[in-house]
Amino acid sequence: MTRIRKPGLSRRSTLALIGAGAATFAAPWVARAQAKTIKIGMPTILSGRVAQLGTSSRNAVLLEIDKVNAAGGLAGRQVEMVIRDSKGQPQEAARIARELVNTDGCEMLLDGEASSGSFAVHEVARDLGVLCIHTCSEASSLTADPKQHIPNAFRSVRQGIHDSIVGGSYAAAIAKAKGLKKWATCSPDYAYGRDTTGEFTLYLKRFAPDVEIISDSWPKLFQPDYTEVVTKILQAKPQALYSCLWGGDLTSYIDQANIYAMFSQMEVFAVNMADYTALTVVKNLPKGIHSGNRYIKTFPATPENAAWGDAYKAKYNEYPTNWSWQNATAVMLLAEAVKKAGSADGNKVADALRGLTIKCPFGADGTVTMRAEDQTLIGYAIGWGTTISQEPYVPQVQAGDWKTILELEAEWKKSKGYT
Amino acid sequence: MDLDALTGCLASPACLVTQTTSGFIIGMLLFLVAVGLTLIFGVLKIVNFSHGAFYMFGAYFAMTAYQVSGSFALAMLCGALGTAVLGLVFERVFMSRVYGADVLMQLLVCYAFVLIFDDVVRMVWGPEFKSMGMPAAFQVMPLFIAGGVVPPYYLLLIGVALAMAVILGVGLARSRIGKVIRAAAHNPGMVSALGINPGLIYGGVFALGCMLAGLAGALAAPVRSLTPGMGFSVLIESFIVTVIGGMGSILGALIGALLIGLIRSFGSLGFPLFTEGLMYLFMVIVLVTRPTGLFGKEVA
Amino acid sequence: MTELRAVQTGGSLSVPRVETKSQRARSLDALIALTAFIVLALLPSFFGSKALLDFVIRCSAFGLFATSLNLLVGYTGMISFGHGMFFGIGAYSFGLLMQRAGVSIPVAFVAALLITAIAAAIIGAICVRLKAIYFAFVTLAFQMLIHSTILAWASLTGGDQGLRGGIPRPVFLGVDLSNHLHLYVTSCALLVLGLLLMRQIAQSPFGYTLRMIRDNANRASFVGIDVWRAKLTVFVLAAMFASAGGIVMALFVSGAYPEFAYWTMSGEGIFINMLGGVTTFLGPMVGTVLLLTLNDTVTRLTDYYGIVLGIVILFFAIGLRKGLMDFAVGWYTRWREREHG
Repeated sequence: MTRIRKPGLSRRSTLALIGAGAATFAAPWVARAQAKTIKIGMPTILSGRVAQLGTSSRNAVLLEIDKVNAAGGLAGRQVEMVIRDSKGQPQEAARIARELVNTDGCEMLLDGEASSGSFAVHEVARDLGVLCIHTCSEASSLTADPKQHIPNAFRSVRQGIHDSIVGGSYAAAIAKAKGLKKWATCSPDYAYGRDTTGEFTLYLKRFAPDVEIISDSWPKLFQPDYTEVVTKILQAKPQALYSCLWGGDLTSYIDQANIYAMFSQMEVFAVNMADYTALTVVKNLPKGIHSGNRYIKTFPATPENAAWGDAYKAKYNEYPTNWSWQNATAVMLLAEAVKKAGSADGNKVADALRGLTIKCPFGADGTVTMRAEDQTLIGYAIGWGTTISQEPYVPQVQAGDWKTILELEAEWKKSKGYT
Repeated sequence: MDLDALTGCLASPACLVTQTTSGFIIGMLLFLVAVGLTLIFGVLKIVNFSHGAFYMFGAYFAMTAYQVSGSFALAMLCGALGTAVLGLVFERVFMSRVYGADVLMQLLVCYAFVLIFDDVVRMVWGPEFKSMGMPAAFQVMPLFIAGGVVPPYYLLLIGVALAMAVILGVGLARSRIGKVIRAAAHNPGMVSALGINPGLIYGGVFALGCMLAGLAGALAAPVRSLTPGMGFSVLIESFIVTVIGGMGSILGALIGALLIGLIRSFGSLGFPLFTEGLMYLFMVIVLVTRPTGLFGKEVA
Repeated sequence: MTELRAVQTGGSLSVPRVETKSQRARSLDALIALTAFIVLALLPSFFGSKALLDFVIRCSAFGLFATSLNLLVGYTGMISFGHGMFFGIGAYSFGLLMQRAGVSIPVAFVAALLITAIAAAIIGAICVRLKAIYFAFVTLAFQMLIHSTILAWASLTGGDQGLRGGIPRPVFLGVDLSNHLHLYVTSCALLVLGLLLMRQIAQSPFGYTLRMIRDNANRASFVGIDVWRAKLTVFVLAAMFASAGGIVMALFVSGAYPEFAYWTMSGEGIFINMLGGVTTFLGPMVGTVLLLTLNDTVTRLTDYYGIVLGIVILFFAIGLRKGLMDFAVGWYTRWREREHG
């Protein structure tokens, strides 16, 4: 007797789904019974084109939380992470953030959203007053703009402005040494791309006033074909190129620029090149691309950093990303703040976080600080160097000087009307 | 807006030639990707919204085959054949049930598969982006042809695209198989009365269209990074090209692709921040003034 | 009395019988709407769950959006692939007015609806004369154009980051929308009112005109109906209700993002209509609840939401071949036929 297959969900899976749905609604009651654990919610992007952001963030968080739990948890309570996929949709990010706090009983949020998603979660944090640490959004305005200031939201992420100050001065030195006067830029057409490129250009010209930007290109994010961009650049005949393309876009761009032999005709400064995601994927990496560090386990050249990178790789069989170290730092900050406050109460932890300096493998001098005035991270390792196509990938990194960075950043904030 | 750059370029012969060449290259690459979509619509009268997913599979199959065997030719073959088989199965089992249903149903079935395929690729190959790398044979200096710079690899792609254009264009119009195919699309009952199985023809044409998408993906793999969901951008591009050129017309797709290539090439000079918008605007204008596209025929 | 006489003696073009019935139907609709609103408004007192309230608020946003799409798809046969653009325009107009013009919420609400209506009138005037598949394509093209513009015009819209800083919610008529409960009740009110109005449109003579156009546009024009104008009217009306949905969403997330005007939003509208069914008025509402429940449940359990959604869509598109409400109504009709011989 042949069994006729009906399309779609079988009865069993339908029942399972209904059961799961019922369980989810019942969950809050179950959760309350386990008050010993402290839940931390994390909306992030686990699917779609930027899925790697979420998966590497999640990996880093779980790696660190294991350590925290092994050391007794937060204020004596074991931590349970509740991580959900927003698919990169800001309204989903907002809904998930609300649900994590309202239904799942999460007492704090680690926000692993990018761009519009992070602003959406920020509004939820504003509305619900829950402690929230952003871990992936590099948009400077998230913390620099006074309109965004809320006492319970923090950011443990590198900022485009810091990268641009360091990159600009590094590039200016090379520009002056090698007489690179004509520059072109090629960056993705969205806020990060435009802001970062604009800031880089600002500081490049400030330290090397002879520099002139003769061509700028703005391909769309995830654009598959860069032909018109490459030909436009080649035609302008610049001596140097700046780009903040990242991830798959950077890889595609390098592949396509390679067949036009673009790299032999100009110095290239690609701020997002020195990231394992790009370094281990690009097959024919041209020599001598200048790049800022994203995450490199040899910079800072400390045993702590190398050990962390190795541990991550051993556990997940892939290299950490820039998002990874940022998330790890957020957990480290949280753990220290809870210790300092002696409690896991959101407000007390927020007070403890403000101005907190902790020992951190990713710190420029072994420490990082959560700056009190705008509640964002400073003191992390930041530097530029040239890339090679095998380990250690960036053999020599010129570290940026935080004193200079902070001075120039303050000036920049004033010029934007943020202070 | 940077109209000075645009007018300056139009005035300078060197720039004009370079931009036109680059527009031509972009157009041919677009055509290669879009031709499968227009073929399926032309013959089967359905819009294959999962076109981008087959492009994605072609790229992934090719990359894996290349990593395993080191042979570029084998990689291309795997990309093309793998998607042909997938397309055939997809058509026979699922698409054939929604022939004649309104375009909404076709969209839904195709889109359901895009969702499923994207997740399958993510499960099998992982979410992180990957690169196939350029085979050593093509790692050579670009050539200077007619005042423009042309990488040899793109010459291969353009060659394949032109070959496709000729084979399909002439084949469908003149050859006996082409006539049978068009007849089956027009009147399946009559064709089956003549002893030819229309289902086989539908499956074959759909498989061919998917194979073209897969081949395009395989050919693009050495120069573009691979990621689940990479099909979406090419779907939109293919869509624009076929709508402008005329759904179902191979020549239309070619002309449409070249037009878009030129718009992108010159548009990135004059309107660097609105190049994409320009394409949509052009699509709107064509749809409004001549809905069937530049070379399309009226759909029943 | 005279009207009744006219009915009895009436000529071949009599209408009155429909009139009385429709008046009764209208009162029934209003009664149902009022009951629904009261039930919804009382819900928070029985269930303290904030997630439930959030769920209903989102149902309000998507329900208005999807039902308005059904006015086009189900009632007029105009398959629009780009309806999401009005959801987005509504959200952005409202958000921008509140952030920059400092007006009160009702004023911003009405103004946003008007802005959307104007946009829809312009776009519709260009599009509605196109047939079936070309109409679908051109609405999609317009949506992508508008999305591109939202991204490019960063000084106005905030670009890819959207409207930031939150949407101010000054108190109006004693309603404070920063209070979750007030927001909930307002969304319910908007949903019920919106559905009631759309129901009136659907059941009015104009609604029957639309059905006639759907079934056979040529015949409709032979009877003297200005098909173009009817289509344009419903296009604009549908856009306004979609924009109301967008405004609810903007209030929920306290912002407006380019994703609201992306084709994925139109796609959700289409899925909802397919899940719930386009032949009944409440089909889209049922579809909304279904899709949102599916979304919320599945994303809790797995990262692979795509596969699940894809399978569900296939189940409905190929297996059931109609929406849930269509199915339910079909079942009910067949059961009745069985009962009554």
